[in-house]
Amino acid sequence: MADQADFEADAMQFAPQLYTAAMRMARNPADAEDLVQETFLKAYRAYHTFEAGTNLKAWLYRILTNTYINKYRRASRRPTEVDLGDVEDLYLYRRIGSEQSGEASQSAEDLFLEGLVESDIKQAVERLPEHFRMPVLLADLEGFSYKEIAEILDVPIGTVMSRLHRGRKALEKALWEFARNRGLVPADEVES
Amino acid sequence: MSEHCDDALANIYNYLDRELEGDTASVIRGHLEDCPPCEHAFAFEDRLKMVIRQRLEVEVPSEFLNRLRQALRSERT
Repeated sequence: MADQADFEADAMQFAPQLYTAAMRMARNPADAEDLVQETFLKAYRAYHTFEAGTNLKAWLYRILTNTYINKYRRASRRPTEVDLGDVEDLYLYRRIGSEQSGEASQSAEDLFLEGLVESDIKQAVERLPEHFRMPVLLADLEGFSYKEIAEILDVPIGTVMSRLHRGRKALEKALWEFARNRGLVPADEVES
Repeated sequence: MSEHCDDALANIYNYLDRELEGDTASVIRGHLEDCPPCEHAFAFEDRLKMVIRQRLEVEVPSEFLNRLRQALRSERT
């Protein structure tokens, strides 16, 4: 059992990270602040149920995720849950590479990765359907293990893996499209 | 592309996320040492992951952290 009096000292260190995740979930600073504040208040009130010495960060993310889902999923228009289908492996890598070798040259990679602007990456992530976006955020932004993500999202680990892997590929595809629109890569290629 | 390449590729995310058992991971590590194309592809995915993480970071407003502390303290009373 954790002592409520210790909550601030224990939990505040995670506030900046939770804010970053909340920004990518709620998509704007005002809603992100509300989301983090609500998460912290709920966590504070329930802190006596938290088992001291277990994973506090994961516990907070679980509350954050549930709060987000309850608060915003219903409020927002239901996002078009398009089936992204299966995006092939190494989607970006194969496209950045020259057709001749099929292998990306170092300079083409550098150019591409350096050219990826923050706003494109943010938009690409924010546009991912929620069931892909959550695992991608938890793994790539927060560095949680698959097991932790399974606990946070309350889904089996196999589901985490398939959503995370498919979400990343979908993200690669979206980034390629942004790069094409920016003229970072040739636009004349017809994609199937 | 050999079947070793296919095996490695099928596990690329599990490998980069350090989610594989020691044995499976060392088989892949061994393959990457022998296979520059796979090594290159893995390195690219790893860099991409890093770039995405870095560019998603946001600065949390310090006034917000103060407000958050305030909210917690008023909850206490």
